[in-house]
Amino acid sequence: MITGTGVVKTFKQRGKLLGAREVRALRGVDFAIPKGGAASFIGESGCGKTTLGRIIAGLESYDEGEIAIDGVSMSALKPKQRQPHFRKIQMIHQDPYSALNPTRTIHQTLHAPLSLRARQTGRPKSWIEERAAEVLTLVGLDPGTVLSRYPHQLSGGMRQRVVIARALTVDPEMLVADEAVSMIDVSLRLGILALLKDLRERLGVRVLFITHDVATARYIGDDGELYVIYRGQVVERGPVDTIIADPVHPYTQSLLSAIPVLHGLELPGEQPVVPLESLDDSRSEDGCLFAPRCPFRQERCTDERPLLQVTEGVPQEHACFYPERRSVIARPMSEV
Amino acid sequence: MVQQAPGVRIDGLTVVYKTPAGELPAVRGIDLTLEPGSITGIVGESGSGKSTLALSLLNAVQPPGRIAAGRVEIDGLGDVVGLAGEQLRKARGRHIGYVFQAAQNSLNPLKTVGKQLLDLGRSHGVEDLRGLVREAKDLLGRMGLDGARVLDSHQHELSGGMRQRVGIMLALVLNAHLVVLDEPTTALDMITQANILKIVREVHAERGLTTLVITHDIGVVAEVADRLAVMYGGRLVEQGPTREVLGAPRHPYTKGLIRAIPRLVGDIDEAQALPGRPPTLATVPKEGCVFRERCALRMDVCDTVDPQAVADGPRTVACHAVTVTVKEHA
Repeated sequence: MITGTGVVKTFKQRGKLLGAREVRALRGVDFAIPKGGAASFIGESGCGKTTLGRIIAGLESYDEGEIAIDGVSMSALKPKQRQPHFRKIQMIHQDPYSALNPTRTIHQTLHAPLSLRARQTGRPKSWIEERAAEVLTLVGLDPGTVLSRYPHQLSGGMRQRVVIARALTVDPEMLVADEAVSMIDVSLRLGILALLKDLRERLGVRVLFITHDVATARYIGDDGELYVIYRGQVVERGPVDTIIADPVHPYTQSLLSAIPVLHGLELPGEQPVVPLESLDDSRSEDGCLFAPRCPFRQERCTDERPLLQVTEGVPQEHACFYPERRSVIARPMSEV
Repeated sequence: MVQQAPGVRIDGLTVVYKTPAGELPAVRGIDLTLEPGSITGIVGESGSGKSTLALSLLNAVQPPGRIAAGRVEIDGLGDVVGLAGEQLRKARGRHIGYVFQAAQNSLNPLKTVGKQLLDLGRSHGVEDLRGLVREAKDLLGRMGLDGARVLDSHQHELSGGMRQRVGIMLALVLNAHLVVLDEPTTALDMITQANILKIVREVHAERGLTTLVITHDIGVVAEVADRLAVMYGGRLVEQGPTREVLGAPRHPYTKGLIRAIPRLVGDIDEAQALPGRPPTLATVPKEGCVFRERCALRMDVCDTVDPQAVADGPRTVACHAVTVTVKEHA
């Protein structure tokens, strides 16, 4: 189990001209990802989803709260002691073009982490070559043709597979995929998503998916948990399909309403929610964080901040005083 | 002079790039008409030649690329391929507005947006610079931004969605009536994307534009475009009214592309990736159909004969397998 309790992160900017400024990236986030489980974080750019992913992968510090990996609290450990724990969590970055060293062949790229792993686990050198071929096969590449290539000789989809293979070299228990398909060609995206799902099912690797595209979040598996994050706060949390079918928070509803409708194939949802303002113009710290943009806000919303809660008749957790189901997503014409 | 939305006729356009392996076509034999006042969407994956096609509209293909054949006829300008020098420079901006891919990176980081606007005005000989600034402010206001604040900002002070709107403003401020948007919403999140697409639609209608949207995302085209053209390996494989093409795609590539979109409802296993990968400049087949390597309907004829675009009412498809079935039904 990988858990987070009340994780807070504030970025402090020291501006000479504008003075010190604080950006509250995370405001007390709780999460739990069980063994073999999956979760996805969704939200707009700047909502804190990437920061949270980086904290979970051990690439970023946090100010308050607690991260525990398999019951071991990370805050109590020294950086050196944390290392073996964070090895279990590997990050897959958005851009496979810059995530690989262009001057190294795929063989060299995989060799470095594998020889480290061989030393740690006391395996012979011959194991390195075997394992390199093995991880490439796992991600659906042919080791014979790929190993001697340089990144520029591979397509975007193949590069992303190499990045995933590299993450697998250190036997991770969780992959953190930050917008892992947004730079991949459309016809190949599903292949990468299916691969992540497949790795989950075959190896039991947990998958944490960070994305702004809700539709891709479905591909981590229907037992996956969805966290909708707005300005550093989780505003809705529950099983992926429940939230997509019946979102109750107006922010989740606006995210789902914004997904393009394939006219000719789909009919738009009947009650689309459009935010009143853009994120840039609504940085109020009082009351509900989404209130300035919420078309349904009431007086209470500007005075008091709703916390993540369970209310009667709503299966998922949500942070809204007035949760209401609205039909926002497009429906296929064949179903109507 | 009152400008009308111009029509554009692209006729047999071929653009080649010089490589060590000789001159290779990035765009080959494209026929495409943009009706005055329409929004056309071109969909294609990386390497399909869609951006090269868009640049050809401005005759702005940079060496080692060159337009090897064909015409790009724009109402009020004539054949753009024949323009050069000062004439061409004046046409860009005045007649054709171009919103670049990643508009966030096409702004000068050292100058405020306002200064860049004045540069644009001066280089096009605008006498009434105050009027230009007023126009820019109005346009930005129209797109939901505080014009005065944005004009005084450097690009790093603006968010991705704001920069994209600045890009649209700069493309329109000289009163161009043909606008090309290259990947207008890539790298923007969903809510901002929906916002920008709404703005594109509204500004298009209000100002009476002819708009061309280039994208890899079928969803974007589905939201804004009247007509949809699908490119693959430098060829235009299918085009037609957006709803008709999406509702009943004919070319196997279009079908595959639509099937590859992750969906919100229904069985997720229905969505499937296309096998294989898109060709690059070097791997595009020299003869025969460009899509055959990934095609489930491949026939012998596909290896040798390049399928011609066959018109059927408002739609055209370039596929041997489809042409055969259409003939059989006739």
